[in-house]
Formats: sequence, structure tokens, C-alpha cells
Amino acid sequence: MSLQLDVNGEDRMFYGDPMTPLLDVLRNTFLLTGAKDVCREGFCGACTVRIDGVPTMSCLRPVALLQDSKIVTIEGLGIEGDLTPLQQAFEDHDAVQCGMCFPGMVMSLTEFLGRRPEASREEMKEALVGNICRCTGYERIIDAALSVRLALEAAE
Amino acid sequence: MAIQATSSIYIAKSVSDAVSALTDQGPSAELFAGGTWIMRAPLRQEKERHSYVALSKLPELSVITVSENEISIGSCVTHAELAEALDGLPDMHVLVTAAAKSANPAIRRVATVGGNLSTVKFSAADLVPAMLCLEAEVEFMSEAGIERMPLGDYLHRPAGAARVMTRVILPRSEALSAHARLPLRKAGDYPVAIVSIAVARRADGLIAAARVAVGSVENVARRWQTLESAMSGLALDPHLIAGRAAELLGDFRARDGIEADGWYRLKVLPTLVRRALETITQQ
Repeated sequence: MSLQLDVNGEDRMFYGDPMTPLLDVLRNTFLLTGAKDVCREGFCGACTVRIDGVPTMSCLRPVALLQDSKIVTIEGLGIEGDLTPLQQAFEDHDAVQCGMCFPGMVMSLTEFLGRRPEASREEMKEALVGNICRCTGYERIIDAALSVRLALEAAE
Repeated sequence: MAIQATSSIYIAKSVSDAVSALTDQGPSAELFAGGTWIMRAPLRQEKERHSYVALSKLPELSVITVSENEISIGSCVTHAELAEALDGLPDMHVLVTAAAKSANPAIRRVATVGGNLSTVKFSAADLVPAMLCLEAEVEFMSEAGIERMPLGDYLHRPAGAARVMTRVILPRSEALSAHARLPLRKAGDYPVAIVSIAVARRADGLIAAARVAVGSVENVARRWQTLESAMSGLALDPHLIAGRAAELLGDFRARDGIEADGWYRLKVLPTLVRRALETITQQ
């Protein structure tokens, strides 16, 4: 079966089984390895991408249902070669350790901060329930996300 | 080199089209809605089906209507949509909590009502006990037409019928309700036990009628009718009723699972009953 997909604004062709998880198509066919292959059951969030603007676990979406969708991976965020404000905040707060969970963290938090820029610390934690980190203990991640919000408020 | 597809997925254009596709393809075909259970079949070492009929693009299955007498919920409404649409309705507190606290945000945006009610092997589904205590009915379309049955009957249905769940119907009532669940982490995993309660009170404040449903303890969620009977006429006292619940634990044959043994699921039930009732007293 052949499928045309919109990935990071580019038309890409996939030839294969229609039930193939999007995660496998991204990593194995398109060599976009930012989305990580970890739990494969929707618990860890490491494979999170945006499908039509919505953070989604790519391990649980069969590619056949995505022909009319816009898929954005961590590689498609921001301007090539530059960091987004959230990515920069993660670096500034030394929040990244092993890096396995961070593409998913960034994909979830970028959408959440765009939708809920006034969110409290607790609400940010709630939004990250589906993104598991086994290194950092989360607090620095939340500190980084809050700093983006505060920077936006200061700019206003 | 041509790459061979080993499975097929048919994207239905309407509910009747989905029924026809299921009928044509026979028992090997399965409905695919949110897919959060089906896509994990390899992890459960289950034999994967090879043909699917997808419902996710059907707008008629994604409608919620609220009236004075009933609420109708399309079978492809997601948990996130359900929690948002019913938020603030006092009689739906149990269902809003179930939909808003299950799994995690990304799963809630994809997993559907119909999928949650239809996945027989998923004992920890949050919506099932919540809807049992709201006396939900489910509606289907098949080649024979429209059919409707109580959710409790649907949970024990024979497998294999070529029918598509179209909606869930919830009667409105003045009962207050609450949903208590115990995941092993604060959030994001399966609850080891779930208690959903709806309580109607008499003018003197005593309990007129109670509906209690328990999920994740046995393989299939069900009403706790002996506790319901025991609650009738009592004061809405969470500690008193939790004590009655503790005396009635013999009603269950709790399942052992990787996340908890059966004895533990039973042990926490009275506490969950108390927590649900405390939530109701605060409403």
C-alpha cells in the first residue's frame, strides 16, 4: 500500500503495511529519529509528535489514518539550526540529562504553553503526566517551562 | 521491490458503510476507533487481526447532546471531549472525573467512549463503572437495524456480531455522583481498583437509592448490589458506609494481575467507597 503523508511540511511517500505505527514510519523510513521508540504503549510519551496540531503518541497511530493530516515532529519545530524558546530554556536550566524523553516533553509542552500560557506549576505537571522522565525528577523541566512563560510576560 | 502489506484498514464513510464492511469481511475484521488498545496487541502477545474497519472519520459518531431527560454520547467521542462537554453538570460528576483522570492527556485525546466500553479484556477501563452507575444504555447499528441494551448486558455480550456502537444514552437524574480510582502512581497508569457511586437522597437527607459500580477488581466491571441495598435509608456518612463495604467484600472474586494481587484490590475498596462518598458530600 502506498500513502502520501505531510511530515514537517514536506510530502513524503510510504510504501508498506497500513497498520504500521507512525513512529516506525518516522524512524525507519524517513529517518526522523527525534521521536523515541521506548514503551510503545502510550505510557511514556517519548514518541510524541503533533498530528494536526495535537500532541499524539506516534506509537499508537496507524499510518493509514494520517493521509490527510499534518504531522510535525521535533525536527520540524522552529527554524532549522535554531532552538525554540522552550528548547533554549531547557538548555539554560540544564534540564536535559539522557535526552530520551525530551523530544516528547518539548512536543507536549510547546502545544500546552501555546494553549495555556498562564498555566500554573501544578497544571504544567498535570499536562506532563504522559511524558515520563527517569533522570531529572521533573522540577527543572517545570522551572524551564515557567521561565518561558515569565519571559513572555516580561516582553509584554 | 514491492512491499507486501499484511493487514488492511478500511476507512468507513458512514455508519451503515461500516456495518456493511464488517458483515462482508466476516469475523476476522475488527472495528478500529481510537486504536489505543488494538495498537498494543503485539505487546500483549496477542494474535493480531489483519483487517480493520476504521470509524474515526465519522462525524456522526462524535456528537454529544445534552437535554433535560438524557445525554447522548457518540461512540467516537474521545475521553477529553467527554470531560470537557459534561463539565459542570452535577449528575455527571462521576463521568467527568472518569474521563478526565484516565490514562494521560495524549491518550485521552484519542481513546474513544465506544472503544473503552467495548474492549472486553481491559478490566481497568474507567468509563465502564462510571457509566454503569449512571445506568447507561448503548445503541448499535447492524444489518438488522438499530438495537439498544443496558450497558451491563452489553459487557457480557457474545463476541463476533457485525454491529457498530453508535451512541451511549445516559438518563438524567438528581443523584449526585463521584468516581474514586487508585493508580499505583499519582497518575498515568491503570487503576488497581475503581469505585463509581451515584446517590439520591430523601428530603430528610438519608439515602433514598444508591448505585455503586466497581471496576478493575474482577475481570469485568459490575454493580455492587449488596452494598447498594445496604446503603438504602442510611445517612450519607462515608465512614459508616465504608464499614459496610468492608463487610461485603466477599461478593467479589478479585483478579490477580501484574500491577496488584486480588487481595490488595479488595483491601482498598472500602477506602475508595469512602473517598467517593466524601466527594459527594462536598458537592
